[in-house]
Amino acid sequence: MTVLYKSTVTEIGELVPTFVAEGMLVFFGDGAPEELKTFCIIHKVEHQEGQVKPGDTVAIDGHEFEVLAVGSVANDNLYNLGHLNLKADGNTVADLPGDVCIAKVDLPEINVGSKLEITRSN
Amino acid sequence: MAEYKSVKIEKGPGGWGGPLTIKPTADRPYIYSVTGGGIHPLAAKIAELTGGEAFDGFNSSKPFDQIAVAVIDCGGTARIGVYPMKKVPTVDIHATSPAGPLAMFITEDLLVTGVKLENINPA
Repeated sequence: MTVLYKSTVTEIGELVPTFVAEGMLVFFGDGAPEELKTFCIIHKVEHQEGQVKPGDTVAIDGHEFEVLAVGSVANDNLYNLGHLNLKADGNTVADLPGDVCIAKVDLPEINVGSKLEITRSN
Repeated sequence: MAEYKSVKIEKGPGGWGGPLTIKPTADRPYIYSVTGGGIHPLAAKIAELTGGEAFDGFNSSKPFDQIAVAVIDCGGTARIGVYPMKKVPTVDIHATSPAGPLAMFITEDLLVTGVKLENINPA
């Protein structure tokens, strides 16, 4: 198994529940501008390599989800800005270029200290 | 005292919204680049043509009411709505259309997308 991405949540914006209600988690790296923090999950990236693609696994505190689709700018966002739009919309083609799509599931609760991990089974 | 000039910013191929006419003022001088990796070339061009001050929003922040225009590289969900929500004109380098929980704040007079260098011209 290859670990592509690993981070820990450090801050949760007050508008995050609005996004969760629509089935999306918006992450940003801890360098994000203050104004973005209100609706973002801020995380500290501990490890990153490669590029995320469909078939990889996203895990939040051990809850695992298969990546179904990856938008055209999602990897740039993730690796340059720590920015991830994780959408539980079940799409196999990303609606928006920034999306990383997983099955239509209830998203797990996220707290400060929660762990995000993206892995590939080799 | 700086002299500010107007630019007209039109949508690029497959883009949405606009055109925006941007003219910084002494109170709103900043061309705010929220793209990561320094000042985006679009922000640099807008700053050059208007006399505004290019500013890297990932290094530090400025209050919304001092931003003449925000330049983003948003894939469609988050940044695309944040600045329009605060009535800050916004330019997205990607050709996205409004979506997500913030879509209700986004109007054609506040957002233009898919913008390329040639879509920015003196007004």
